[in-house]
Order: sequence, then structure tokens, then C-alpha cells
Amino acid sequence: MARRSRLGMWFFIVADVAGTIALVISYTYLWSLNVNGGWAPPGATLTASQTNTALPTTPPTASFAVEWPFWAILLVVVAATALMWFGYRSARSGNHAGLLIGAGLSFLVTVAALVFQWIQISTFPFDAGDGAYASAVLLLCASNIFHLLLLLFLGMGIFMRARKGLIDKANWYQAQLTGYYMTWVCVAFLLGAILTTFLVVSPNTDPAIFGTFKQQ
Amino acid sequence: MSVDAAVETKTVFGSEVPQPPQHGAAGGVMRRLNFGTGLVGGIGLATIAGWVTAIITPSSASSDTFAPMEPTYVYLAVLLGWFIGFMLGMGAFVGPLRWVVGRDITHSDAEYMAGKDLGRKRYWKYTTDHKVVGIQYLIVAMLVLGFAGLLAMLIRTELGMTWTSLFTPSFYNSMIGTHGIAMIIGMIVIISGPLGNFIVPMMIGARDMAFPRLNALSLWLFVSAVPMLVSSMFMGGIQDGWSVYYPLAAQAPPGMLGYQLTIIVFAISTAVASVNLMTTILTMRAKGMTWSRTPIFVYGIFAASVMGLYAFPFFQYAQILGLSDRVFNTSFFDPLNGGSVWLYENLFWLLGHPEVYVILIPSMAVALELMPVFLRKPLFSFNFAVAGIVGVVALSGLVWAHHMYMTGWAPAANYPFMLSTELISIPVGFLVLVAIGTFWRGTAWTRLPLMAVYAVVFNKMIGGVTGVYLSDVPADQYFHGSMFVVAHFHYMLMGAGLFGAMAGIAFFFPKMTGRFLDERIGSIGLWTAFVGFQITFMSMFVAGLQGQPRRVLDFDDQFNLSNWISTIGAYVIGIGMLIFLSAIITSWRSGVLASSNPWGSKSLEWQTATPVPLENFPVLPVVTDRPYDYGVPDPYEVEFDSTDEDLTEKVGTK
Repeated sequence: MARRSRLGMWFFIVADVAGTIALVISYTYLWSLNVNGGWAPPGATLTASQTNTALPTTPPTASFAVEWPFWAILLVVVAATALMWFGYRSARSGNHAGLLIGAGLSFLVTVAALVFQWIQISTFPFDAGDGAYASAVLLLCASNIFHLLLLLFLGMGIFMRARKGLIDKANWYQAQLTGYYMTWVCVAFLLGAILTTFLVVSPNTDPAIFGTFKQQ
Repeated sequence: MSVDAAVETKTVFGSEVPQPPQHGAAGGVMRRLNFGTGLVGGIGLATIAGWVTAIITPSSASSDTFAPMEPTYVYLAVLLGWFIGFMLGMGAFVGPLRWVVGRDITHSDAEYMAGKDLGRKRYWKYTTDHKVVGIQYLIVAMLVLGFAGLLAMLIRTELGMTWTSLFTPSFYNSMIGTHGIAMIIGMIVIISGPLGNFIVPMMIGARDMAFPRLNALSLWLFVSAVPMLVSSMFMGGIQDGWSVYYPLAAQAPPGMLGYQLTIIVFAISTAVASVNLMTTILTMRAKGMTWSRTPIFVYGIFAASVMGLYAFPFFQYAQILGLSDRVFNTSFFDPLNGGSVWLYENLFWLLGHPEVYVILIPSMAVALELMPVFLRKPLFSFNFAVAGIVGVVALSGLVWAHHMYMTGWAPAANYPFMLSTELISIPVGFLVLVAIGTFWRGTAWTRLPLMAVYAVVFNKMIGGVTGVYLSDVPADQYFHGSMFVVAHFHYMLMGAGLFGAMAGIAFFFPKMTGRFLDERIGSIGLWTAFVGFQITFMSMFVAGLQGQPRRVLDFDDQFNLSNWISTIGAYVIGIGMLIFLSAIITSWRSGVLASSNPWGSKSLEWQTATPVPLENFPVLPVVTDRPYDYGVPDPYEVEFDSTDEDLTEKVGTK
């Protein structure tokens, strides 16, 4: 059963990786094209050619997001993952108290990450309609929230099951699988932090100009 | 293994297995949930969610381009309410919730969930037994295909009545889009769902799938998606073809939400099913079943699962981004705000083309699986067949942009994609050549399943050859967007895919139902549909070569004759399919009883009893031989090797 579950978890991670790659492609594609000069939020400090002049009604207050919160939330998620691995190691060595502490703290730290992520989203200096950068960053954050909710579910399950003795020295594979998934989530958060830190201003200073297609 | 005396145990196949403690009285809420409670939950929550949303959304709500948003929000709430309520009512959340609180189900609960002693009720519940899930998949997939086929009849009626119009252009477009995506979904499922679930575990000598509850989850996710798709027709429909390209999709009525949520849910269902099938095949093959002894059908299902697993998330995320644009005013596909319609096309076709092989490979695999049985000789080069499947999987993710030659996206990439697309015809050709090689010198026992294989091979060759023209950049400039393309992909998806499914259903019908599929009625249906298929789509090739564009309601008079013939052919297909369906229904109810191995097959699924017991095999089998070694060693080869002079006397004339 452990072997099957381990393989199943790896396959689920493959599907999740494919979805995350779709997000990364979306971000980098729009960043590199800067269609209509619409990548950056209207208030970002840019050269004239990089600014979207087709949005006269949008107040030019929106700008790029501050980078450090992406890294700070990543650090919190890494801490939650490390605690889960600590719990798993404790379970394998027969230290049940260590398992409970690791899994419990991992759950609490994940809750903290979720709160931080929500605060970050609610304090972004842009709205969803402020260009492609805003769209891409918001969806990366939505993906982060989805991942954190899954981690909350798994973390609570591991803690509750550990309390009931269903995870112990002889039966630890579910904690290990949760550790695998949390490690992958760290990688996904890292990708998001890299994108939002190093691929901010579009390199395309001569973007293509198209009309709008939205329903009038 | 020592077991604590305080822990209750249960004897499972001769071993004492410790049981989790039973929490509360046996027969909790999950034993009371079924399809009826799912419907009540889904409709109830959808009604409440839609009502509340209508109250809290101001009727003046509009997008930044002044499009009214109230219908969009209400429809979205209704769809989400339906999905959550239905899955809740089916009992899909019981297992995960019990896991998270540490109240694992007992063996007795697991047996109940597997449908033990439940009779026909088990087909209406969240049953985990792979055989029940397989039958459920078969019924639902046939319903979806029937719905899509009905739309096809209406489309062909409209196109055939060149002197008048039956439908408004919007409704016609909506029928085209809904027909397309419903057929694609149905075709993806029609082999991998019923046969992948029912047959594969038995074929590899396993008692069930690796994750039985995920098996039920994938099925009911699929079921929950179907009403979403149908409902979109009442909300303005999917008017942009099955690919829903932007900017058309951005301008579409709220029915587009039905499409988007259908794809999002169906992609989750596919991922869950793929993980389950792949894990089952990799970890649960019987002792002795090495890769060279694993049936080719298992390879086909595994390959389809691999492609579904890596490719579907791109399609899913394309729809998530589109839904986000529509509901949250983001701008992934809106050029005014920095979005790009080419982004959508890339994400879409990253699944859109592998999906062709998700349909085609299981179909070819089922054909190759049953050919040795009816030709009583080994598969012609098992290794080449495996190489063909592996080659298709390896190249499937490198060909997507051949659908975008004419969009203006990256013209410099056209020729690499032309090369990769033409390359993929080589491994696909392996599969056709193995089929033809297996026919060679075979002693054909021409029963209904083998007849369907004849149809598959014929259609596959027509579809394959015409596909090579479309992969060619200069030729595609002429053919793109014409009826030639429509005829080509119908030869691949329907001609090879659906006829392959008919072969598989006819072949495995005795194992799935305990009765033979009526040979006479089934054959009449098969060949009627085949003849109608050739009339419809050969004529469509002609219309395409003449230059008739696809997805167009009114066309020039020069195309009238081709369209009249196509419409007549479509009615013939419809009649043939109805006859085949009647064969399935009547045979299921009162067909001739079949023995456990009526075809004399060597593979494992035929070696167990019919009806198949809950655990499939009383004792797990051990594989000692290859699956297709019919007539091996060849008596002539043996005699030549031993240089026996009196050959004819010993083995007779061949």
C-alpha cells in the first residue's frame, strides 16, 4: 500500500507540475510580449513606450508589487515543510511526541502562511483589471492559496491521525507523502517568487499594438 | 505478523488483517447516499446559490466594457452549487473527511462501498468496485455520445436543407461547439473509462484498482460535468467551436461558463483516473507478468493515461484563465490590457493534439489486443507495437503548433512543427503495420469484434494519410478551416476511435455482461454505420477540396451536392448506431449466455469466472507465458529446425 500511495502521489505531483508550468508559461509569455504596452500596471514608472496609453480611464496609481513578501511567504512554507519532515523523522524513530509536535506546528505555520498570503493579495497596489502583470501575479497567488488549502487539509489529517495512533513507527508513509507534496509546493512558491522578482519590467520596448475584442 | 489481542481482525484471503475501530454504529451516512441524494443535493444547492447570488448582485453590475454581469454571476453560482451539492450528495467527501479525522473505514464498510450484496443498487451509488465503475462509465459515455450524435444529426439536417434554414445562426453555432466538445469528452472516455476500469485490473491479474475510492471519484466527477455542458445550451451556448478561440470566447454569452467549468472538472476527473490507472499497472501486475508479457491493451491504456496526465492541465488552466478574464476582469487573453489570444491557442493545443492520441491509442490497442485471438497467431512484432505507442507518447507533446500555422503565431516555428508532425506518423504507422502484419497468414475467425477491426484499420489509414497533407505547411494554407479538415479528424476520432470502441465493446461484452453481443444485429449496425460513415465523410472531403469552409451555416450552391450526400450518409450512420445500440440493449437483457472464455483467449481476464466475482480471482494468478503465443511454436519452423525429411507426413499441409 505504501508503494502504491507513494507512486500515486508522485503522479499527482506530475499533474500539479504541469498546471504550474502552464501558469509560468502564461506569466513569461505575457511578460515577453507586452502586448499594447499593457504588461505593466498603469502607474508603474516606465518609459513612455512601455506604458499603456490606451487606458485613459484607469487612475495611474497602480504599480508593481513589492517583491519581499513573495520570499517571506516562501520562507514560511519552507518552515512548515521542514516541520512536517521533522515529524516524519520522529515517527520513523519512534518518537511519537516529536511527530505530534512536528505535524501540529506544521499545520499552524501553514495557517500563518495562508493568512500572510491573504494579506499580500488584499494589499497589492493594483486590481485585477490593471494589465497583464496584475492578472498573472494574482493568479499565481490564487494558485498559492489553492496549494495552501491542500496543505492545511493534509497537515490536519496527519496531526489528527497521529493523535489517534494511526501514524507511528510502523505506519509512517502518509507523513512521508505529505512531506513530498509540501516539498513540491515549496518549489512552486519558489518559481512564483523568482518570476515576480526577476521578471518584472517587460524587456519588450516595441510591443505589438492590437485593438480590443471584449464584448461592448 | 503479530496482532494485538485488543485489535479486531478480519480474515482476508487467509490472512488475519487488523481492522480500524468501527466508529459509531455500522452503516453510517455513506450507506444512505446514492444518485438520488446526489441529484437532490446538486439541484438544491444550485437553486439556493443562484437565488442568493441574484439577490446580492445588483442588476446594474457590469464589466469594464459595460457587459451585464448579473447573469454571469448567477450562472456561475448555480454551476458551483450543482457541483458541490451533487458530490456532497453522492458521498464523495465522506472518505476524505473520515481520513482527516482519523476514522478510517472498516473492511465491512469497504465491502459495502465495493457494492457487495447490493445487487443493481450498486450502479446508483458511489461504488468503488472497478467492474461497477466500468459499467457506469460505459453507460454515461454512451449517453454523452448519444447526445453529441443527436446534435450531429441536427447539424447535418441544417446543412443538407440547402434551400432553407432550420436554426438561427447563433443556435447553429452553439450546436457545433457543444457537439464538438461533447464528442471529444465522450471519445476520450469511451475506451479508457469502461474497458480501462473493467478489464485492465483483471487483465494484469489484480483484485481491484490501486485506489478504489479515486476510481469512483473520477467517474462521478465526470458525471457531474455533463449537466454543466448541457446547461450551457440554455445560456446562449458555446458559439465558438469546441476550441473556443479568443477573442470570440470573450464575446460569448454566459453559456461559455458551462464549457469552462466542464473542462475544469473533467480535467480533474481525467487526472484522478490517470493516476489510478498508471499506479495500478505499475504496481499490481501479477507475478510473472514482465513487460514483455503485459498485454498490448494495457500499454495503450497506460499511454493514454500518461498523455492525459501531463497534457490536460494545460487545457484546464487555459479555461481557468478564461474564466478569470470573464468573472474577475483579468486580462490574460485581452490584448487591450496586455493579454494575448495566442497564449490561449498555445495552452489549448498543448492538450488539443495529444488528446487525439488519448483517443486513438486505446482504440488501436484494443484492435491489436483482439486480433491475435481471432486470427489465432501471435501479434506481428509485439516490440514494434510497443515502440509505436512509446513513440507516439514521446512526440505527442511536440506537435501542437501545427494547428496554428495560419494564425500568424511564430511563422519561423512552422517548419520544425511540420517536421515533428510528420515524424509522428512513423510510430503511428508502426501500429497500422503491426495490424496488417497480424492479418498476414492469419486464420481469420471473422466474428463481430474482428469485423470492427477491419473498419478501424481502413478508417485509420484514410485518416492518417489525409493528416499528412494537413501537417504540411504549404498544403495547410489551402486546407485550413475547410471541410477537408473536418473529414480528416472525423476519420481519426470517429472512424478509428469509435469503431475501435465498438470492437472493444463487442469483444469484452461477454465478460462484462455474461452474454454475447447479438452477432447478427450488431454486424448489421456496424456495417450500416461504416457505409454511412464513408458516404458522409468522403463527400465531405470533396466539399473541402472544392473549398467549402467549416462552421458556416450558409454556403455557395456549388457545395450543395456534397452536402446532400453527406447528410444522407449521416442519417445512415445514425441508423447504424441505433441498430448497434439496440443490439447492446437487447443482448444485455436477453442475449445468448456466454461461457467464461468464449473466444478461447489466453489473457488473464478470460481465465476467471463470469460473472466476475467481487475480488476477481479466488487465487492471484502467476503468469508463465506471453499473452499472444497462439500456435507457437509454429510446427513448420520446429520441423525445419530439426531437419526432419518427412515433414509433410508429420504436420500435414499448412
